[in-house]
Amino acid sequence: MSIMEYNGGSVVAMVGKDCVAIASDLRLGNQALGISSNFQKIFPVTDRIYVGLPGLATDLSTLRERFRFRVNMYTIKEEREIEPETFARLVSSTLYEHRFGPYFIEPVIAGLSKTPSGGVEPFIAATDLIGCLNFAKDFVVAGTASAKIFGVAEGLWEPNLEPEDLFETISQTLMNAVDRDAFSGWGCMVHVITKDRVITRTLKARMD
Amino acid sequence: METSFALTGKGYVIIAADTTAARSIVKMKVDADKIKVLSPHLLMSYSGEPGDTIQFAEYVERNIRLYQIRNLYALTPSAAASWIRRSLAESLRSRNPYAVNLLVGGYDTTSHQPHLYWIDYLGTMTEIPFGAHGYGSYFALSLLDRYHDPEASLEEGLSTLKRCINEVAKRLVVSPDRYTVKVVDKDGVREVEL
Amino acid sequence: MNSLAEKYSTTSPLSKLRKAQQLAEDEELSDAMWGSSAGFGSLAKGIPSFTVAPVPDPAAFLRLHTDDHADPNCRIKIQHGTTTLAFRYKGGVIVAVDSRATAGSYVASGTVKKVIEINPYLLGTMAGGAADCQYWETYLGMHCRLHELRNRERISVSAASKYLSNLVYSYKGMGLSMGTMICGWDKTGPCIFYVDSDGTRLKGDLFSVGSGSTFAYGVLDQGYHWDLTDEEAQELGRRSIYAAGHRDAFSGNTCNLYHVKQDGWHFIGNYDLSKLHYEGPNNVAGQGYGYDVRTEGRTSANPPPAATATA
Repeated sequence: MSIMEYNGGSVVAMVGKDCVAIASDLRLGNQALGISSNFQKIFPVTDRIYVGLPGLATDLSTLRERFRFRVNMYTIKEEREIEPETFARLVSSTLYEHRFGPYFIEPVIAGLSKTPSGGVEPFIAATDLIGCLNFAKDFVVAGTASAKIFGVAEGLWEPNLEPEDLFETISQTLMNAVDRDAFSGWGCMVHVITKDRVITRTLKARMD
Repeated sequence: METSFALTGKGYVIIAADTTAARSIVKMKVDADKIKVLSPHLLMSYSGEPGDTIQFAEYVERNIRLYQIRNLYALTPSAAASWIRRSLAESLRSRNPYAVNLLVGGYDTTSHQPHLYWIDYLGTMTEIPFGAHGYGSYFALSLLDRYHDPEASLEEGLSTLKRCINEVAKRLVVSPDRYTVKVVDKDGVREVEL
Repeated sequence: MNSLAEKYSTTSPLSKLRKAQQLAEDEELSDAMWGSSAGFGSLAKGIPSFTVAPVPDPAAFLRLHTDDHADPNCRIKIQHGTTTLAFRYKGGVIVAVDSRATAGSYVASGTVKKVIEINPYLLGTMAGGAADCQYWETYLGMHCRLHELRNRERISVSAASKYLSNLVYSYKGMGLSMGTMICGWDKTGPCIFYVDSDGTRLKGDLFSVGSGSTFAYGVLDQGYHWDLTDEEAQELGRRSIYAAGHRDAFSGNTCNLYHVKQDGWHFIGNYDLSKLHYEGPNNVAGQGYGYDVRTEGRTSANPPPAATATA
């Protein structure tokens, strides 16, 4: 039994037109046994950045605390909000600091970065458990259902989706993929980050 | 096998843990109390590796007490649970980790809400309306999905707990025969007889 | 040493297989004379024959390459996770199963038929190796029919299950994997036997088999008594499979429900567990089995009356 599959769970993030979406399932398991169907894996970092932390659940809680601390320290020192790319680097170096005894988490980052002209640009990234960054232009996935999400996402995603269409795309992708994974599911949660607001919805998903 | 259950109800949390302390195939003690009273409104059941369990539980007990002495007020259930989880998570990556599974239940006197936290030896924590540790969880969880009611009175809550104990006694190969049961509500902590 | 002994022994399952193979190779009794016989052509010879690996110890060879929980890298994958249950009550037998098949963490199918209709009076359930259960229970069906023709009466559930038990026991140690309940109605009334590939055969009122069986037992035991009405019994079967599908990662998708009465079995229905979660069997929103659906709006918070008034 792989340690990455011990608790189960998956996260996916997608790029849209001036928006990004990030979604995860809500299952916390102990191998085959489901423990909680309300276990969030995605957390806000700033108003414009969300991070998803699928993998070993104890490290999820620990990393969430660590990232909160480090982002707060950054905000105090720099006197400004952290940018998504900077946060991705922070995630990467935090993970690599534990190169020889890693946290068993594969983070997914989604956010909107500011452009010099005052607009916003979508940003998504994912890393492996020791911090190798992967910047993608379409979508990133992680977790026990990652292979299944890739398959559905390749079929459904298209460039320049508006927020509502992006919501539909990411929701259908995640829900259909986790239904083919025994260790993910038990409810889904989606966040769509736009310039003005963040839309958060829980989905009516299969519960078996 | 070690088994513990916990469930919330209208303004209370019930925690039950079996009373056996086993070593190899021998029951060393049949009336062990494996539920610690951490503060006036906080309970914690512990099970797992013999030795680790008592050592860790007493470490937690003393530190929660120390906080109360220093600050003149007790930690809320969520704050205490977070501290306990962190202690376990840090211990996991040490040379000699504690292998202890916990159910932390408390009554938050500020928000008038009962809280129950499920914590395993890795430091995994989640808040739940009901939960269990040990092989008993494989029988009790489906039953609690069916019968648990967040607004149940204490009598109803205890009868649901009896169903769990009865089911485990019926189906588990080496099932415990006695349990300590403790309740925490707005009036504090007390032990109840089933 | 053990394998050497087995190689020359005349009573081991291996030597029986070898004999059966020699029979099959015999020209007078070749499979070809039966035309397409879907693997059952050997019925005329009493015991079916199988091709085995051309190595000194085929059983050990097979064991090495067959997947089990210890080694997921094996080449031969056998369907594992399952929840099946059957119970006897005054109105007959209820048989309920899930429909999920998993290969590792992958949900390979959500529409598996885990109840095998052996004949109009006998049902078998499927847990463990899907192919093993399907093949041997179909094979059992053929022998039950032969029994009817020979003896001019239907085979008892006891006899049928004993036949299956003896059959699988003769292959013990060769990797057969099945945990099945043979359910039916005979002269003695409603009847259930649990038969597995270890050779265990148990008569009883209530069984559940598979990775989700503990969860099914939890609900089943608490709701079971002999004097259930037909509706209550069907509901209990469905509810128990739902409970297992919910908590066990390797069970789920749909529930197939059968009711065995004096005139044979009846298929009651196929229920999507997601529907049962949110709407229940009668498709009414809010009447689902799900914990969150059932307890929606209920809270364990207990604010004192004064606090509520000021809030």
